[in-house]
Amino acid sequence: MTILQRILHVEDDPSIQEVARVALEIVGGFEVQSCDDGYSALERASEWQPDLILLDVMMPGIDGPTTLARLREQAETRDIPVVFMTAKVQTGEIEHYRAIGALDVVVKPFDPMTLAAQLRTIWERAHAG
Amino acid sequence: MQDDDVQAKLAALREQYRLRLTHDLQTLLAQTRELSTHEQGIDPESLQTLRQGLHRNAGSAGTFGYAKLGSEMRELELWLQTAMESAIAPSPPMLTAMHHRLEEILRELLETPDDAVGESRESQELASGEREVQIAVMAGELSDHLVQSLQGFGYACRKLASCHEQAPESASAQAPESMAVDALIVDAARIDESQWKATLEKMPSAMLILLSDEGGFDARLHAVRHGAQGFFNHPVDLPSLERRLRHLINLPQQEPYRALIVDDDVELAEHFRLTLKSAGIESRVITEPQAVLQGLRDFVPDLVLIDINMPGCSGPELARIIRFDDDWLKIPLIYLSAESNAKRQAQALAQAGDDFLVKPITDVALIAAVTARAQRSRQLSLALARDGLTGLIKHPAIKELIEIEMARSQRADTSACVVMIDIDCFKSINDTYGHATGDYVIRLLANLLRQRLRRVDHVGRYGGEEFVAILPSCTLVQARDAIERIRQSFAGLECVAGTQTFRASFSAGISCTRDWTDADALLEAADRAMYQAKQRGRDRVCLALAEAESPRGPDV
Repeated sequence: MTILQRILHVEDDPSIQEVARVALEIVGGFEVQSCDDGYSALERASEWQPDLILLDVMMPGIDGPTTLARLREQAETRDIPVVFMTAKVQTGEIEHYRAIGALDVVVKPFDPMTLAAQLRTIWERAHAG
Repeated sequence: MQDDDVQAKLAALREQYRLRLTHDLQTLLAQTRELSTHEQGIDPESLQTLRQGLHRNAGSAGTFGYAKLGSEMRELELWLQTAMESAIAPSPPMLTAMHHRLEEILRELLETPDDAVGESRESQELASGEREVQIAVMAGELSDHLVQSLQGFGYACRKLASCHEQAPESASAQAPESMAVDALIVDAARIDESQWKATLEKMPSAMLILLSDEGGFDARLHAVRHGAQGFFNHPVDLPSLERRLRHLINLPQQEPYRALIVDDDVELAEHFRLTLKSAGIESRVITEPQAVLQGLRDFVPDLVLIDINMPGCSGPELARIIRFDDDWLKIPLIYLSAESNAKRQAQALAQAGDDFLVKPITDVALIAAVTARAQRSRQLSLALARDGLTGLIKHPAIKELIEIEMARSQRADTSACVVMIDIDCFKSINDTYGHATGDYVIRLLANLLRQRLRRVDHVGRYGGEEFVAILPSCTLVQARDAIERIRQSFAGLECVAGTQTFRASFSAGISCTRDWTDADALLEAADRAMYQAKQRGRDRVCLALAEAESPRGPDV
């Protein structure tokens, strides 16, 4: 199985972007790039070819689910797994994201000390099956 | 990468986030105030902006340690969303209500100590799982005063009315069933026994503290028989009460005791080590007497267990060698021996050493003996380095700590701050109310500082009414904010002198390691800033700014 190494984090909130970078780069030891919105994520994902995209659900411009749909339309990004990050508001939201093709969902607020481990678990579980 | 490094980075991010959060809340306040005046209906776009503002912080606050605030924002967000999706559009009164809630949230944020001020990991962990300490007071007409004072110390405290007191708020102030209260303070002279007992029954986890007019043995015995864990006479000495509460509720997590075992019988020593380990006592075994001094220096034990018969050097000889060194004078030395002859035991003790444990010894007896002596040894060494009145670090020790922090912050290129605090018009407090009251005010401030500063901070009593605090990993502005909050609390505390009450205040000066090159200059700068605060009218905090002609450049 491929080792999880490169993570593209798509998030419009700069504070969350920074804390996630600490959580993933320093605590988790991953290689991380960040994008502020869905459009730049589409470009960066095809250039950089991350192992996984951590995608915020609610963003200005195109939201997370729309970005996921666009990623699936581009040949270069079609197979990159996506994990949503959401400040869950509605019941059934998480099930819905899984249904539209997200590998899994990370709930906000997240704990910076365990975010990396959470992603690693999701990754391993997905590859074990 | 070092864990500390991660923590420092996270702390810095938290600090940034706190600023942003304050700013966002102010924006939300302005928006809700504006929208609540729209009589003609509110445009959906403004509502969407408002909702996004709430959503953004509802999702992020918890990550930065503001979990409670995050869930409050989430509640408001859901409230707004539900209204937006329903047929009844959000109305001006609803936005007014939201405005008030946001005001409360902002006030709470501003009033909580800045957790982001370089919080250590230990306290960060605390912050996530911590709840406030809840104290209930049943003390008749004294309740208000107690509640107010304990709140000043940072406890969540409320008064419970008794039935025969027909206070207007008594209905709301009754204890709800099985309230999670940590301590119940009862004035035995003013509240019926049956009544407080009934209340106590509803608080299974609460500790009982009784206040009484009677000071005799019988009153104390009575209190003990009622399961009280604290007993105070009127007038209640608040700092002592607060100390007792802290002791009862929040027994500080102690470092494990450490024992050095010197025994040439390797297997027996190892058995002792494992036995002590099972009780949480750390120990190190030394089988060669010659290695004992090195062992003392490396391991810094709370006590030493010495086998009395060792080849080359007897136990008493070794004990005398240890006692040559002033550094180890206060460490208990305990002989382990098969020697049951009382006379020979006395001879050994006459040379040096503090006690005898006779082998074979049961595990339970060994653990009990070591624990009791280690505890005593800790208390003693703590007492030696601490000021008797306040329990704070004494002058010479605090100066040493300033030097250590100065060096540390220069090495790590971080900033630490030194705060000099002086109680205002202390002489006039002494002259007006007497020295006992002066001491009381000093203890009041000492307790407040200890309670409000972080665990990584050091607080010392520098002189009569003068205190010094060292705040590692902290900028000048953060230090000012923290001390300013303490200043406000202190100025708000009501001090009691007999039947009179009065208020005291302090002036403080703060300097930062980044602006000064050595510990003396740093301390002098804080001192000058403190005098400046006095000159400007007291009861304020002044910062020592680096002198313009000698800025600390990158090469200095």
